[in-house]
Amino acid sequence: MSPLPERPLTILIAALGGEGGGVMADWLVAAATAQRFPVQSTSIPGVAQRTGATTYYLEIYPVPTTELGDRRPVLALTPSPGYVDLMVASELIEAGRAMQNGFVSPERTTLVASTHRIYTTLEKMQMGDGRIDPERILSAAGTLARRAHLFDMAALAQQAGTVISAVLFGAMAGAGVLPLPRTACEAVIRASGKGVEASLRGFDLGWKHATGEATERPAEQIKRWAANPSERVHATLPAEVHPFADEGAARTADFQDAAYASLYLDRVEAIAKIDREQGGGAAGYALTRETARFLALWMCFEDVIRVADLKTRRSRVDRVRDEAMAKPHEPVHIVEYLKPGIEEIASILPAALGRAFEGWAKRRGLRLQKGLYIRSTSLTGFLMLRTLAALRPLRRASLRFGIEQQTIDRWLAAVRSAAALDLGLALEIALLGRLIKGYGDTYQRGRDNFLRIMDTLVDATDGREPASRRAAIRAAREAALADPEGRKLEGSLAAVGITPLPPRAKPIQFLRKPPVRTGGRAL
Amino acid sequence: MERSFKEEIKSLRLGEGDEFVGEGILAVTKALLQSGVSYVGGYQGAPISHLIDVLTEAEDLLGELGVHLETNASEAAAAAMLGASINYPIRGAVAWKSTVGTNVASDALANLASAGVLGGALIVIGEDYGEGASIMQERSHAFAMKSQIWLLDPRPDLPTIVRMVEHGFELSEASNSPVMLELRIRACHVHGSFRTRDNRAPVVSTTEPMQSPDFDYGRIVLPPSTYTQEKHKIDVRWPAAVAYVREHRLNEVFEGDIDQLGIICQGGMYNATVRALHQLGLADAFGASRIPILCLNVTYPLVPEEVTGFCSGRAHVLVVEEGQPAFIEDAVLAALRRGDVNGAVVHGKNVLPLAGEYTGETVVAGVRRFLEMTLDDLPAGSVRVDTAAITTRHDALGAAKRQALGLLGGPVAPRPPGFCVGCPERPVFSAMKLIEREGGPFHISADIGCHLFSTLPPFNIGNTVLGYGLGLASNAAVDPLFNRRTVTVMGDGGFWHNGLTSGITNAVFNRDDGILVIMNNGYTSATGTQHIPSSPHQADTKMTGMSIRKALEGIGVKWVKTVTTYKVSQMKDTLAEAMNSTYAGLKVIIAESECQLEKQRRIKPLIANLLKSGKRVVRTRFGVDEDVCSGDHSCIRLSGCPSLTVRDSTDPLKVDPVAHVNNGCVGCSLCGEVAHAAVLCPSFFRAEVVQNPSWWDSFRWLISRAFISVLQRA
Repeated sequence: MSPLPERPLTILIAALGGEGGGVMADWLVAAATAQRFPVQSTSIPGVAQRTGATTYYLEIYPVPTTELGDRRPVLALTPSPGYVDLMVASELIEAGRAMQNGFVSPERTTLVASTHRIYTTLEKMQMGDGRIDPERILSAAGTLARRAHLFDMAALAQQAGTVISAVLFGAMAGAGVLPLPRTACEAVIRASGKGVEASLRGFDLGWKHATGEATERPAEQIKRWAANPSERVHATLPAEVHPFADEGAARTADFQDAAYASLYLDRVEAIAKIDREQGGGAAGYALTRETARFLALWMCFEDVIRVADLKTRRSRVDRVRDEAMAKPHEPVHIVEYLKPGIEEIASILPAALGRAFEGWAKRRGLRLQKGLYIRSTSLTGFLMLRTLAALRPLRRASLRFGIEQQTIDRWLAAVRSAAALDLGLALEIALLGRLIKGYGDTYQRGRDNFLRIMDTLVDATDGREPASRRAAIRAAREAALADPEGRKLEGSLAAVGITPLPPRAKPIQFLRKPPVRTGGRAL
Repeated sequence: MERSFKEEIKSLRLGEGDEFVGEGILAVTKALLQSGVSYVGGYQGAPISHLIDVLTEAEDLLGELGVHLETNASEAAAAAMLGASINYPIRGAVAWKSTVGTNVASDALANLASAGVLGGALIVIGEDYGEGASIMQERSHAFAMKSQIWLLDPRPDLPTIVRMVEHGFELSEASNSPVMLELRIRACHVHGSFRTRDNRAPVVSTTEPMQSPDFDYGRIVLPPSTYTQEKHKIDVRWPAAVAYVREHRLNEVFEGDIDQLGIICQGGMYNATVRALHQLGLADAFGASRIPILCLNVTYPLVPEEVTGFCSGRAHVLVVEEGQPAFIEDAVLAALRRGDVNGAVVHGKNVLPLAGEYTGETVVAGVRRFLEMTLDDLPAGSVRVDTAAITTRHDALGAAKRQALGLLGGPVAPRPPGFCVGCPERPVFSAMKLIEREGGPFHISADIGCHLFSTLPPFNIGNTVLGYGLGLASNAAVDPLFNRRTVTVMGDGGFWHNGLTSGITNAVFNRDDGILVIMNNGYTSATGTQHIPSSPHQADTKMTGMSIRKALEGIGVKWVKTVTTYKVSQMKDTLAEAMNSTYAGLKVIIAESECQLEKQRRIKPLIANLLKSGKRVVRTRFGVDEDVCSGDHSCIRLSGCPSLTVRDSTDPLKVDPVAHVNNGCVGCSLCGEVAHAAVLCPSFFRAEVVQNPSWWDSFRWLISRAFISVLQRA
């Protein structure tokens, strides 16, 4: 008889609550039990079952009890750093968490992890992009794991029509460290009796990707570069800028008309001219490129006309059907959640009328009306939105159009005059365009922040050096994107000696304890 | 309930010599039946919920055996139920989450322990401590000590756990005292096996009921009986317990060749201790340790002779005792001094942390420190051990963790638990967030339940939490001392547990002027969606139609409004109305919608059946128009739904990720309603997919599509 193994095989599974990690642990236990191996699993479901990070821990002693006599291994209930043979993670940063906790070590650990992301609330809730860089985790995995099997198992699960636990189970089995033959694992899935065929398909995909029989398709280019190359763009602008300017020109034409696209290119060309003169080629014409990007987004501001237009397009309806995974014969009805406010209505009225309307509504204390639920796939709903969209030619006379063009011109003038001084400074100003986005309060807040930075750091130079202005503008932009309340922006401005605005008073319309209180008790 | 226990119930029926394979807490359940219990009860809570859940489903089996199962109102009620064993020779067991449950139960427990028991009374406590715990970090040990309830802490393997349950009843009867069986989270969920015995039908049962009541003033907790009872505890019951533990060898000694050292551990710490020794090269995979171990499966009371006997002749002894204060270490020190065994130096909290869970990582570090302090200090002629090898082994274990710190370049984003997809409680906090935005923050007294997730991002709502059902009681002095009205949140679970009496009744009695939001989702969801009196769907054995509203009206609450939670605007308006109301008195908003977890579990098979049989089913899901979404993520800050996430924009010009509703969406409508209530943006839409469409559906759809496509832009 060969000597008994010195220690059990240890397996740690990191998953998200409700993902079926428990099912996978049960499968492993059942497969090991079928081999008569001593096996133990533990978990800490608790409230973590509600979408939080959780773990399942198993130990398998790979010798049948029939060969052990009365002896039984003492199996641990908690994983130990440096002592995990197989680390499984159902999501990328859970693999990162496992590494952080020391559960992935070069001498011992085979890491099997899905590379897809399920973003944490903290990542999702940021105003800009709060997502962590996956490369950091992938490269750490390459260094820390003895062997790493990393691929997008969520995608494979979807392909197989099953849940991720089936793919993970296949990948674990395929990674070659489990003392369980493939047939034993598959037998357990069969015995489970639920969704067996799909689970087996998922298992097979996981197995094949772990053994290297199959490899992932490279990620598809998801950006929709829609525009046809424009002759004018290619004649007048540097090559680095072409895709952005093509896209911008096409979009502004789609938004308004050919003349508007021509205005867009006039504006971009003016920037490109200075960029060239100042030797921007060395930086790949970053200034012109970024200006072209944000200018296009800004010029295609989303008023109700634009929204109505976008929501009634054929491509959009197709995309919704696709996303909802509707079969070709299934009707899909789309109900739009719209709540146009006073400002939205005023903004598409002719400038003078819009201003008067806004003032009148303010004096009357009129607030937003009821939210609308418009069925854009019904004939009436569609016609309503289409009629709104058809107001497009009248947009040029609208209140909002005028305001936006004025602000854009102010911004571009600042970019141009800064570019004459320092291209880096001009780029920072160009990037302020990122602050202009959204609707309603979000739009107003972004615009206020934009104007605040323009007033304090861009137009008022206070004799500062370009380098320090560059840094101050970048810091202010990042602060504005980091905090919906705008206090961080004021803090950032204060750091360069600008007196912060007082916090905006909240209009307390209620909440004050009403005066009527039967404070006294009846005797 | 969260899951079905159909399979597990079968294993409760196993007989002599069969093999039980399953979870620790279910092994306990089987052991109860093998011990001939007459009644069982408890209050749900992780990690012991499954004990109650499986018995609830095992109605038939319990009926056959004549075992009474009570769904207790609270842990206090469960502890009080053990009173049946005071006068009568009947065995009973209850279970709850500790220390919170033991806190609630302690009035009844103290009375029970004072009166003493004739029949075995066992309390199964799930020690919710360490990783995965959801409560304040305390020990149950103190309760055992103050009331003289014996505390079992078995080695976490199924045969030992089962053996200790069976001994628990014998011990209880031999010493006329209640007994606690403590299982940590992982031990409750540990998956293993043991050889079963036949279930024992109790002598007194629902089929063989008692005939005559027993009266004995000596068992009434009133003076002068109380004085006699205290003396009886000390003079009779305690010595009897110690004798039983010693005679039946409930504690275990494992010998080893490094006999100058010794380790005393709680039973629950045994596996971690052995694993630590194994990792340092001092034990094999089967637990044969070179250092002798005294494993305390009974942690209270200690058997002084066992302690002195184990420590005599040793130079150093390590006590591995999880949590604080270090009751066992202190007791060991006292026993050695009293027994005049002064040669052994006692270690414990000097090498192991005073606070916090003893994971494998913690114990191995502590054992290493203990060995480094003691191995080189052994008297001449002792067994020699290579200390350097121990240090090297342990350093190697931690190398990867140290390396990871540098490679990852910063901590990985935390992922705390949160509200489920489509949770009906989330919209209430969206509404509160909107009120805060307009009117500034207000004080919120929170309560125990899923709704406490409101304190996490993105809401960060809720200022205090004082205990299950105690939300309103904890607001009693806050509201009168604030210049604006305050809000209390209470779940329906907490309402029936004690909130109705401790909070609402008294708020009405005191003419308090608060606002109470009752989350009426139909279950105690955080503990695994168990039923409560107001649950919408009840088993045949339970009463139906017990409503929260009727209870409120019954005690005289005049201002009650019921709002469907998903209607965010209405919820916001109702809250604002309550804040503005000139009505002075308790204002209650019943926030109503079924727990989504439970609802999905209920309707999923129904829908699958409808689809299979070709019936028309409309599937609803929400979506975000990415062309319209500006990537500001306000919607996420007001919702936090797991299925409302972000992804790269396919727009080549946009840099920020756009909001996106993934396929987990259950169509609850919150994201759309929030967009309306907060006037966010026009990106949200509801898509209704008509599955198995009727000919009329298809006809209408084709016609409208034909007209639309004429006018549509590409």
